[in-house]
Amino acid sequence: MTAEVLKYTREEVEALELAPGAEHERLEGWVPELASDEDLRQALDKALDYRGDVTLTLKNGERIEAYIFNCQSGPTLAESFLQYFTPSAPEKRKVSYSDIARVEFSGKDRAAGKHWEDWVKAYNEKKAAGEKNIALVPEALD
Amino acid sequence: MAIPISQMWTVSTYVLKKKLTGTKRYPLVLMLEPLFRCNLACAGCGKVQYPPHILKKQLTPEECFAAVDECGAPMVSIPGGEPLLHPQIVEIVKGLIARKKYIYLCTNALELKRRLPEFTPSKYLTFSVHLDGQREHHDYAVCREGGYDIAVEGIKEAVKRGFRVTTNATFFDGTDPNSVRSFFDEVMGMGVEGVVLSPGYSYDKAPDQNRFMGRARVRRLFRAILSNRKPTWRFNMSPLFLEFLMGDRDYDCIPWGMPAFNIFGWQRPCYLLQEGYANSYKELLESTKWEDYGVPSGNPKCANCMVSCGYEAPAVIEGFGSWKGFLGMIRGTFSRYPDKHALDMLSEAAPHGSTPLVQIESPASDLEETHV
Repeated sequence: MTAEVLKYTREEVEALELAPGAEHERLEGWVPELASDEDLRQALDKALDYRGDVTLTLKNGERIEAYIFNCQSGPTLAESFLQYFTPSAPEKRKVSYSDIARVEFSGKDRAAGKHWEDWVKAYNEKKAAGEKNIALVPEALD
Repeated sequence: MAIPISQMWTVSTYVLKKKLTGTKRYPLVLMLEPLFRCNLACAGCGKVQYPPHILKKQLTPEECFAAVDECGAPMVSIPGGEPLLHPQIVEIVKGLIARKKYIYLCTNALELKRRLPEFTPSKYLTFSVHLDGQREHHDYAVCREGGYDIAVEGIKEAVKRGFRVTTNATFFDGTDPNSVRSFFDEVMGMGVEGVVLSPGYSYDKAPDQNRFMGRARVRRLFRAILSNRKPTWRFNMSPLFLEFLMGDRDYDCIPWGMPAFNIFGWQRPCYLLQEGYANSYKELLESTKWEDYGVPSGNPKCANCMVSCGYEAPAVIEGFGSWKGFLGMIRGTFSRYPDKHALDMLSEAAPHGSTPLVQIESPASDLEETHV
């Protein structure tokens, strides 16, 4: 947890009526500028939260399509690494921060458009149109 | 409390052994997620928002057994995703039963009736069916009309075949406490062993970020729901945890008590927050900065959480780890929690006229603060 994060006292926590939700950032298609080590760390923090694949370009030119699920941040980029799955391989893979030259939020954001309000709107529209058995269905996997 | 004596004995002796050996951090329930794939697309669920290649992945039975063996928890909850979509779920369940683990297989029950013949009733196996309230409330919550009826059909068939069955519900802001109480009547009438319930949590990954109750509101809602209990109601949870939800007890979160394991590894720090993964339970225990989480840390991500994965374990440990806690648990099991103020809250929360599908626009904020 970073020092600049607003902290709650126990009294504030116990008195909370509504919990603030997180702001959902629109990151799909974003290519962050990586001018400094801190830029890279921040971009990878966002990639960890992102519900889609990202494309990593390594300093040796290799491009990796990856779903990032773990970031271990160390004192230097060389001591920091991330873990990911690729669509084409079954095993977990690992890459050092110091090997990464470019990050692109290339995959579809799987959390976008799935807010409660979206469902309420869709439900009301379908109900008004006389539809029966209204439902959201999971996206196809193939 | 609707939990069989053999299960209580297993858990109580486990807790006492840990106490006698001076073990400070240990797991009570392993949250084993064998896959994230689901046959529902609930708008409030952040568990299923992954690219297809992640949703296609699943733990092998061997990976499941290794996780269970490593952490040693006496109980294993199998959420997901929808576990009944896992092609080897029967093998996984059999392997856990062979290890004498008490299993709660959490399911939306869309496939339950069809899959039941593949399972054998056992005191170690409970189907924990996701039902978020009465028919219209549940269907709206899971974004599928007709979902409730299919689930109830599965519940009735499972009960008929001699399986242990509970229901589990998550309540978000806007929940009508009167409807929840009627829901308890309905599910107990189906012959289930007991009810499991929890307040919703505002985790960052959930697409729906606007329906999360803070602690004050959670306590009022659960006091309205759980006071003045009917003698037919049974809860498959620690009575002390229910008192925590009602605002009668205070606990600090112990996320290591219900660790989560899935295709990514051991989730850090808990089932709800997703801040990385460890390769083993030991690594999770030793390398997580636990002081950064829970209410005392001031971490805003933990500010509204009163969820069982953090707070039921301390209630269970208190219940089986001290005479005071044990007596409190016995009292809580048999008490009806009479409370006139809570009855007044129910009257105030009662909807006027015909009820819309779900009261998402009339939250429980109208309820007054409770006298805790």
